[in-house]
Amino acid sequence: MSVTASPAQTAPCPPPQSATIQIDASCRLPLLGLFGGAVLWLFLGTLFALIASLKFHDPRFLANEPYWTYGRIHAAHRTALLYGFGVPAALGVGLWLLCRLGRALLAGPGVVLIGAIFWNTAVTIGLIGILCGDSTGFESFQMPGYVSAILFVSYLLIALCGLLTFHRRAEAPLYSSQWFVLGSFFWFSWIFSTASMLLLCRPVRGVMQSSIAWWYAHNFSSIFLGFAGLASIFYFIPKLLARPLHSHYLAALAFWTLALFGSWGGIPGGAPLPSWIISMGVVGAVLTAVPVLAVAVNFYQTVRHDLEALDADLTLRFTYVALVFWLIAGAQQIVGVLPNVSALTDYTWFPVAHWELFHYGFFALAMFGAMYYVVPRLLNGDDPPAWSAALVKAHFWPTFFGILISYIALLVGGVGQGFLLSDPKYSFAQVTRGTLMALRAGTLGDLCLVVGTIFFLLNFALLLSRHCRRCWTETRKERA
Amino acid sequence: MSQNDTKKPANHDNSEPGAGFATVPIWLIMVFGGLFYWSQLYLSDHAGGFDKQVYAPFDSLEEVVRMNPKSAGDEFRIMGQDIFNKTCTACHQPTGLGKEGTAPPLVGSEWVLAPEPDRIARIVLNGLTGPITVKGKDWNLTMVPWKDIYNDKQLAAVLTYIRSTWGNNAPPVKPEQVAAARKDIHPGPMTFPELQQIPVQ
Amino acid sequence: MNSGPLLFLGLFVAMACSWLSFVLGPQLQIGDMRPTTNMMVGASGQIYPNPEPGAAHQGAEIYRADGCVSCHTEQVRPRDLGSDINRGWGLRRSTGYDYLFAQPVLLGSQRVGPDLANAGRRMDAAAVLLRLYEPRALTPGSIMPPHPFLFDKRKIQGVRSADALQLPAPFAPPPGYEVVPCPEARALAAYVTSLHQDGYLFEAPPPPQPAGKTNAPAKVPTNSPVK
Repeated sequence: MSVTASPAQTAPCPPPQSATIQIDASCRLPLLGLFGGAVLWLFLGTLFALIASLKFHDPRFLANEPYWTYGRIHAAHRTALLYGFGVPAALGVGLWLLCRLGRALLAGPGVVLIGAIFWNTAVTIGLIGILCGDSTGFESFQMPGYVSAILFVSYLLIALCGLLTFHRRAEAPLYSSQWFVLGSFFWFSWIFSTASMLLLCRPVRGVMQSSIAWWYAHNFSSIFLGFAGLASIFYFIPKLLARPLHSHYLAALAFWTLALFGSWGGIPGGAPLPSWIISMGVVGAVLTAVPVLAVAVNFYQTVRHDLEALDADLTLRFTYVALVFWLIAGAQQIVGVLPNVSALTDYTWFPVAHWELFHYGFFALAMFGAMYYVVPRLLNGDDPPAWSAALVKAHFWPTFFGILISYIALLVGGVGQGFLLSDPKYSFAQVTRGTLMALRAGTLGDLCLVVGTIFFLLNFALLLSRHCRRCWTETRKERA
Repeated sequence: MSQNDTKKPANHDNSEPGAGFATVPIWLIMVFGGLFYWSQLYLSDHAGGFDKQVYAPFDSLEEVVRMNPKSAGDEFRIMGQDIFNKTCTACHQPTGLGKEGTAPPLVGSEWVLAPEPDRIARIVLNGLTGPITVKGKDWNLTMVPWKDIYNDKQLAAVLTYIRSTWGNNAPPVKPEQVAAARKDIHPGPMTFPELQQIPVQ
Repeated sequence: MNSGPLLFLGLFVAMACSWLSFVLGPQLQIGDMRPTTNMMVGASGQIYPNPEPGAAHQGAEIYRADGCVSCHTEQVRPRDLGSDINRGWGLRRSTGYDYLFAQPVLLGSQRVGPDLANAGRRMDAAAVLLRLYEPRALTPGSIMPPHPFLFDKRKIQGVRSADALQLPAPFAPPPGYEVVPCPEARALAAYVTSLHQDGYLFEAPPPPQPAGKTNAPAKVPTNSPVK
């Protein structure tokens, strides 16, 4: 590895190995806390999703008690996935990227750990609250108001440590992943505080609630989670292929256009709001074609000479599949927002298919790729423990097929449902009958996701136990 | 380290990724420009002038104003339509075709289309019970009275509406005509023989 | 783009644009909406909307708590953007006025079940209660979950209760037992039957009437009462 950077690329002088080991060690406890909790919530979230989808086939399943009624289980599933898994994973990966790219130790690891503990406590209380009937009724923002403050403060603790780490960076030039991480950290604090204030604390009047709720959900997914996943993708693909990212300028174009236009939208076409609000959303969504194309071109040029290598590395495989799914989800969103299409597909399973593809297919897979790389190095930077290859396969393939089956079934089912709904001669019961096949496939997909997640959990536990056993034998050897 | 485990991670831990400086392809800039231009056109067509009173599918405040009823006659008819939708569709159906066992049709009904509205005014005021023939078919149901729920203007509006919709084309009904029918006090619902006594030419 | 403060400034501007467009802008425009007096609504001078009665408000809380919003929407789309009006889900599209007294506003974003914006026009309390207890009693093959926890299956004490549910054979309780709605079920039924979006508004005027031919009979039939 040459020490002088060539003029064609901005790879920094590689730091001495001990520095990266120190950086990873500084992140150990807080990030293990964030990731460990995230994986457990992911399992719970996918389990809730499976239970919810089983109810479509036998509505009497778990219907006798209010705690497990479909409405509450669905809200619990989304909450566990977005706030139990999504936010901590995004924060953990983001913090690690800021440390590595800035070549700085994590600032305030104890504070981050405290933040993680409080966050998980708040999510637990919030989830129990949802199951007991305190859900807010706003999609993607279901946790009751009494946990908002704890959530916000614990988030701020973690994000501010990230900001401090960034401020203390040794490496001055910024890489694109850092823009994405900082963007995502900043975004969540603004949208979450706005939504908490204007929906729960001092609720606004009438349909303004829905406008804000839709705006929040769209920004949470597209920008907060989107930026976090893209940060990971922009980091790992060039790094693990040992090639530079094709264009810094394309990355900048993608970043700014996504921040500007990707944040407009989320409002269905026929919503009871003045038409200008809906039109702004349509315009924003269509303009996200620019970042989608910019990212596609950038990565195509980066990887096209090395396509076989994409499958060789574990992290790379998860990451590039996540990238492809992000591109497909982006394309679907653009198509789905056009008035002719949205008249057909709004409120059907079509947007749910997009949700599944984006959150499982893109975000979760990107986080898995990052975790597969980061966690062993957190445990032991010198000699990172290895994952069990069989369990990795048992995680990847069911997850991949589960996402694919769910997505295609709900996409096709949603379009079919839209056509049936658009003809008044079909009664609603007939429309429901028409979607049953898609729902069966969706349940199968949900089952595959649960299975994959269980194997990931097992692998995680196995890795930890191997590491602990090794530590213990080494300590015993030292004492002897 | 068993054979089951993943490969030992390659030694690229100490190199962070960098970015090249390839230029943004010109076609992407053109796509951006084109989409931006399209978005401005879309907003000028579909944003309703950013007016809070313009809801889809209308595109401007002028269009909303145009679609709203203009004349007093229009407003009157719309009031009648509104009351009909709220009150009468439950039995006479939104199509005005009525329903077996529920209510006779109003579409093409000789009762509705009679030149003078005195009979239908009394039906809506006092209600109706017993056998009656409508469009050659026999009906034997009961209709509740509305004289205590709606005033003369409202009932005249409903009668005007049903006489000018679904292809019906009979003259509008004035509130004074309903008032005159109301003065003809009749406890209990009307019956077919009583209605036949009332002139409608 | 290597400067932290510049990056922050850019992000701030991007977020501010989005916030202005979807939060502050709409709030300034429609945040202060009040009931309208509109001569097309029923009789002139009537205001719209009117606040829900108390039981309906309690029912809205049950609707929110049980997550009904996960499967049902409460918004009618305009004629050109879906078949909602043609399906009989409403006579006009929903507007901001329709939700002025709703707290929280539960517009919903998915239709696993039909839209409920005008459910009060289609169903009475008995139908709602029956559907809550066992949806398949009314619609075979329905995937709506039953809500037996909102009801009380109890032994008939003397005479059958007046508000016991009339359940068809496969779903009826064993002989000697009756199913009676709990206060929560009654409140929820009051809420659902209070849902209606009446009256044409300035923002949602009636559709234009096509200029039609008359269908007045050309000849007065002999057995007609009209002379």
